[in-house]
Amino acid sequence: MSFVIEARGLGKQYGRRWALRDCTLALPAGRVVGLVGPNGAGKTTLLHLTVGLLAPTSGSIRVLGTPPAEGPEQLGRVGFVAQDTPVYARLSVAQHLRMGAWLNPSWDRQIAESRIEKLDLDPRQRAGTLSGGQRAQLALTLAIAKRPECLILDEPVASLDPLARREFLRSLMEVVAAQGMSVVLSSHLIADLERVCDYLVVLAGSRVQVAGEVSELLASHHRLSGARRDASSLPASQEVIEESHTDKQSTFLVRTSDPVHDPAWTVRPVTLDDLVIAYMSRPAACERAHQPQLKVMS
Amino acid sequence: MIRFTWLQFRVQARVAVAALLAFAVVLMVTGPHLAGMYAGSGITACHGGACEAAAGRFLSRLAITGPYPIVYELGIGLILAVPAIVGIFWGAPLIARELENRTFALAWTQSITRTRWILVKLALTGLAAVAVTETLSLIYSWWAEPISKAISLQGPYPVASEFGGGRLSLVIFASHGITPLGYAAFGFALGTATGALIRRPVPAMAVTLAIFAAAQIAMPLRIRPHLIPPARTIASGPSFVQSAGVNLGNLTATVVPGQPGAWIISSGAINAAGQPVTTVPAPCIPPPPAKPPDPGHCMDSRGIREAITYQPASRYWPFQWIETGIFLALALVLAAFCFWRLGRRRT
Repeated sequence: MSFVIEARGLGKQYGRRWALRDCTLALPAGRVVGLVGPNGAGKTTLLHLTVGLLAPTSGSIRVLGTPPAEGPEQLGRVGFVAQDTPVYARLSVAQHLRMGAWLNPSWDRQIAESRIEKLDLDPRQRAGTLSGGQRAQLALTLAIAKRPECLILDEPVASLDPLARREFLRSLMEVVAAQGMSVVLSSHLIADLERVCDYLVVLAGSRVQVAGEVSELLASHHRLSGARRDASSLPASQEVIEESHTDKQSTFLVRTSDPVHDPAWTVRPVTLDDLVIAYMSRPAACERAHQPQLKVMS
Repeated sequence: MIRFTWLQFRVQARVAVAALLAFAVVLMVTGPHLAGMYAGSGITACHGGACEAAAGRFLSRLAITGPYPIVYELGIGLILAVPAIVGIFWGAPLIARELENRTFALAWTQSITRTRWILVKLALTGLAAVAVTETLSLIYSWWAEPISKAISLQGPYPVASEFGGGRLSLVIFASHGITPLGYAAFGFALGTATGALIRRPVPAMAVTLAIFAAAQIAMPLRIRPHLIPPARTIASGPSFVQSAGVNLGNLTATVVPGQPGAWIISSGAINAAGQPVTTVPAPCIPPPPAKPPDPGHCMDSRGIREAITYQPASRYWPFQWIETGIFLALALVLAAFCFWRLGRRRT
């Protein structure tokens, strides 16, 4: 299996604060990976490390097999849409496309122009006067017209209204389907990503809490409720992600690869939303969340 | 990257070229008449002492003729100000605006390395800054040539002082020759580095102005006099004082004997014992009804001499090269700082 991003013990420190710590990840190629976490969790730091805007303080990262921003070729293989989709306010849409063509040998003029036409953008309009949605679309156009193998988007829809949000994600999925590239996109809301991503990374407290295939994550997590009992009484194969108790009742969100047979429990499936919230609020160590699959103890 | 740099820079470049052209037109229109006045003043055909008188007459007339004094001072002011303007409006926003608007994330993720991006930006805009300033300096020198020639012909005791001193005088030196080039490179690099450090254009502009102004003042007053160890001489004899080589108020020298156009760094009278003398001794000032004094003979007979440290006029070009070299070296250091500051570990 080939990986878009391979990080090993990756960390970035600002002064005394670690923005990202001990991050070990291997994101498979050909997926749409959602990177979810609360604000300040280290998402932007991780993505900036990925595109080479930052260098790591510790550990290493490889993107498409090479260190990020190693040279022009590597930069050309990765497309990036930064947070708040910055563009040059005083340059026109057409001038942005010219910039893309000048600075990227792999630039596909046709993709760029047909997208601008389809989006109904006036090429002569200054980027500073575009709406948030149009600006995001322009930034996306710039990132995909260089025909990257991997597209990275940092909170691309955070500042968009719901309509523009849907429109943006729809056009993103069209591109992914047409060009077949790997995508990593971040958001602080799982709702934004639920429909588009098939792989999920939850980042909280500067550490990766969980990473995995969406379908696998949903299959391996269960909500158990029943008479009150302590988390330590659960079998070792069931990792407790979240627990809540009332006087008489206990509810656990557990991760396990085994079916839950204990008749004392009412077992319900979890939604992606539940799962993400549980991991986001869990103060857990990166490596613990990263243990591949817990061994079955008999 | 060159084309894209131009795309981002062209508005500023056009403003600069338009301003340069406007000033060039002023010089073109007034230049021929100025040259005509010079030719008509009899300087070109003069000999010996007549030249001093002719140059003095020419400058005195020029000082009250229409726009010339204004254009002369405006030109010097512009040449001194353009490096600061370039630093503030080209240098300071060059990187700071990309950082403030976060467009660096767009720029540095195209298929071009960050090093190359910084290199092209600095080199092209920096060359433009140097070219604009030096062009301005060259066309101005062409225009002011009759004035410069007349000043140098005027001899040690200028009749007209409206046009400043010789080539080594503080303001004239920095606005002529090759030094404007050094100042331009320095001003631009200073602005860029300040912008890279502060990361916001407006504060960077203010800091650039402050530092540049400090450098522009410190250089002639504190640094330039010592770039080459100054020469020393002791001027003595009655004729020296008599011929008004000494300011009788505080006994400082106004000329260096045998060194026309020399730049006096410091001077003062000393007595036979080598101690400083700051006023004309009382016996050398006869009471009012007496005939005008001859302080020269009187002081000379008391062993009072003038000690002068100075830079000879012949050092003009060495000084030009050294000062330009210093500012070019500073510009390179500041440019290197930009690369360091924008490194991936610090962004």
